[in-house]
Amino acid sequence: MDLQTLILDLQRYWADCGCIIQQPYDVEVGAGTMHPESFLRVLGPEPYRVAYVQPSRRPADARYGENPFRLGRHLQLQVILKPSPDDVQELYLKSLGVLGIDPAVHDIRFEEDNWESPTLGAWGVGWQVLLDGMEITQFTYFQQAGGIELSPISAELTYGLERIAMFLQRKDSIYDIEWGGGVAYGAVRLEDERESSIYGFEVADVEMLRRHFEDWESEAKRCLEHEPPLVIPAVEATLKTSHLFNLLDARGAISVTERVGLIARVRRNAVAAARASLEQREALGFPLAGDVDIPSGEAD
Amino acid sequence: MATFLLEIRTEEIPAAALPGARRQLEDLFSVQLAEAGFADLEITPLSTSRRLSVVVKNLPDRQADRSEVMTGPPSRVAVDSDGNPTPAGEGFARKVGLPFDQIGRVETEKGEYLTATVVHKGRDTSEILAEIVSTVVAALRFPKMMRWGDGTPIFVRPVHGVVALLGSEVIRCALFGVEASRSTVGHRVHSPETFELESADGYAETMIERGVVVDPAERKQRLEELAEALASEAGARVHPDPELMAEHVELVEWPGLIAGSFEERFLELPPEVVVTTLRYHQKCLILENGDNGLQDAFIGVIDRKDDPEGLIRQGNEWVIGARLADAGFFFAEDRKRTLAELVPGLDRLEFHRVLGSLADKAARVGKLAAVFANALDANVAPEQLHTAAGLAKADLLTNMVGEFPELQGIMGGHYLRLEGADDGLWTAVRDHYAPVGFEGAVPESVTGKFLGVADRLDTVAGLFAVGERPSGSKDPFGLRRAAQGAVKIVAEAGWEVDLNEMIQAAADAVADFSKDGEAAVADAVTAFVADRVRRWLTDVVKVSGDTADAVMSADWSNLPAAVARAEALERVRTSESFRILALAFKRVRNITDGQPDRGVDQELFEMAEERELFAATEEFAEHLQGLLPKRQVEEAFLAMEPIAEILERFFVEVLVMCEDERVRDNRMALLKQLGQQFMELADLSKLQVEGGEK
Repeated sequence: MDLQTLILDLQRYWADCGCIIQQPYDVEVGAGTMHPESFLRVLGPEPYRVAYVQPSRRPADARYGENPFRLGRHLQLQVILKPSPDDVQELYLKSLGVLGIDPAVHDIRFEEDNWESPTLGAWGVGWQVLLDGMEITQFTYFQQAGGIELSPISAELTYGLERIAMFLQRKDSIYDIEWGGGVAYGAVRLEDERESSIYGFEVADVEMLRRHFEDWESEAKRCLEHEPPLVIPAVEATLKTSHLFNLLDARGAISVTERVGLIARVRRNAVAAARASLEQREALGFPLAGDVDIPSGEAD
Repeated sequence: MATFLLEIRTEEIPAAALPGARRQLEDLFSVQLAEAGFADLEITPLSTSRRLSVVVKNLPDRQADRSEVMTGPPSRVAVDSDGNPTPAGEGFARKVGLPFDQIGRVETEKGEYLTATVVHKGRDTSEILAEIVSTVVAALRFPKMMRWGDGTPIFVRPVHGVVALLGSEVIRCALFGVEASRSTVGHRVHSPETFELESADGYAETMIERGVVVDPAERKQRLEELAEALASEAGARVHPDPELMAEHVELVEWPGLIAGSFEERFLELPPEVVVTTLRYHQKCLILENGDNGLQDAFIGVIDRKDDPEGLIRQGNEWVIGARLADAGFFFAEDRKRTLAELVPGLDRLEFHRVLGSLADKAARVGKLAAVFANALDANVAPEQLHTAAGLAKADLLTNMVGEFPELQGIMGGHYLRLEGADDGLWTAVRDHYAPVGFEGAVPESVTGKFLGVADRLDTVAGLFAVGERPSGSKDPFGLRRAAQGAVKIVAEAGWEVDLNEMIQAAADAVADFSKDGEAAVADAVTAFVADRVRRWLTDVVKVSGDTADAVMSADWSNLPAAVARAEALERVRTSESFRILALAFKRVRNITDGQPDRGVDQELFEMAEERELFAATEEFAEHLQGLLPKRQVEEAFLAMEPIAEILERFFVEVLVMCEDERVRDNRMALLKQLGQQFMELADLSKLQVEGGEK
């Protein structure tokens, strides 16, 4: 199964399970969780189901396109089910069926792997899902986000799409997987991995990055101090600081001590934005509460 | 008699939480059931990755009736002069639920009182169990709890089903909003359909038919047998790994195995890399051939009986191949540069916010290692140690250690070996993190030992200097283990070096970072290391605590000498002479502590016992001078024995605290001199012996 079929089929499946199919966020993020459709929607009482692909940028993981297993930017398919349904594991296992993975002939395991994001003030409890020894999904019950105890609890599923495609296609390099229509992943992405690696490790202007970190940090604060607070602009500015932090980190410009401080600065704004978002939804009367038709059972 | 079964069906529970959960289930049920008056029960906690169960055998259908004697008000208050009950008397009758004419009387010291025997009817066991189940489950604790769904329930993982049966009857109760029933499910693949358990009896057997082995001990046995069979098929043996086995036991409902292989070329990677990939990242069992070498094969544990289409083996082989190729990529990348080329980069790696970079640390370690080498007249140049200290940390900058942090030291060793470094150097880098605490071998080469001790003392002194001292169970920097490692190396290397001086040197090097000054740091580190030395004596040398105290109170700064004295004292102390010596020496210490050193003036002796003791002391001192340089420690201790009787006589006949000040001082001086000679070996006053106060 090629990469795009995999994406299309998974999206179709989750749409049938009552998810809104969202689009990737158009601000650089390190993980699909940072998309406001996850980070903000899990707050408060409103039920929600959403799925989307999110390109996730991790400049420090880049390898100049030389390592067959590592990318500076990879694709995640993110699913949020709020509240976490009773049959969430069954729903997930059925989604594998869509990819042609029949649990009857594989070894599928849920092994403890808890998740924590210090920059988002978020943590959850869950598993990594292993398919015949290969990690294919991160499965998390969000317990806290933006420093706020969550209730109801959301289930988050994050599929690592390139890894799954590699595994399904039994390819020895990410760049050899078929994206679609006979075009290889490498043909689409290899050059930008190379260039982004050179930029991230060698070229990025540290002083400029630091300056922009400061700028976006104060911009986030300004948005939060605005009356009424501008939640999405504040989140976007905070995501910028998070990405700038990742770039500085890849560039080797952050000492261990400084690291803790910078993470705390990103978190402060993330937490404040989360609070503001919750207050905003409350002021709106939690418009989605009780209004969304969430199927309780399986997809048709 | 009936059997009780509780099964809580959940989503996958973390492996690490399960052994503790079973212990708690057993403990909590036995306490609760005992409180309810049930005895002679057989309580068996069971679990798989997806269920927690407990089976209790030998339960009666109902509690036994229990009678209780209750005492009421005094008769004079409860009964009027006509023999009729007063309101107080009626009240008591009401309370115990009997007509007044069935209320008895009892004579006590304070007069006659009303009394009644109340029979509490035993309740149905199932009713009691319903309550106990709620109590027990609410009391279960897990390392990490979670909420799910609407956010109210809290448990280790979401709960999907509860079976509660007494014999064949369902016990009416509910957990986390799930009503207890007799319905459960089998293995996710082998028997996913819901079915009903007829009875609590035969639970384990029924579940095996449904593809679930609920008894962890049985899963363990099956896994071990399967693994051995697979290994011998492959002409290899399984590397013993009880820890990994124990984890796998918790990770499955049905223990199954697959065997697979990987490309032989990966065996060219350092074996630790292959093992880390297989063992730590893929949780595979390692296969060894006859010479302890690795095989190009592995055994994986699966949660099912079979691999019907071979896809599971294929998948695992693909993943392991990919992981090994990834490691191979890192290895090749790292080999493009020498380790020495990485050393300058250490100034970008922080060791500690206040204590500076790893380059700073390596420089301190090199210097401290040189102090050790110098004190031991070792033929290692300071520059050599300086270079080795830098190289030892350089692998922290390699791709491989970035990916596999547990291979620190080991990778540096391999890279240096491949660069052609001499054995003393590359093994030093490889070994310098070992041993961890008292566990594991000490570094092979002398350079490795110097680095190992210096690195740890610097870590302990440095973190003490900046106030990061361990307290209680908190030891985030592993300083106890670090100090233990240093103690083990010094003891096993047999280094007769003054540890106090070495600690002082380590404290000096970090004194600038301390607010309290170097003396305070040195004192604190010395006390901390002393605790580890005592532990070495009691836990590894295996002498009793008071032997260790006696020896250490004399001196422990020369560790090998202290170990030899502790071993000798432990052997000789069982004699009657040593019991007497220990008691007498307490008196000696009590009398002479705080007294100034004075010479003994033989002219002032008035009694034969004084002269006798003086002669014995002189003779003992001579023995010591002859024996100690020859390391004849036990003989030296035995030379104390004759003094026991002499000292005992001395204390009987001689009044130390006599009127004449000069005679008194002289007697104290004599005892002090004896004490000082004894203290060359041990402070016998620390020995706990019969006849002395603790």
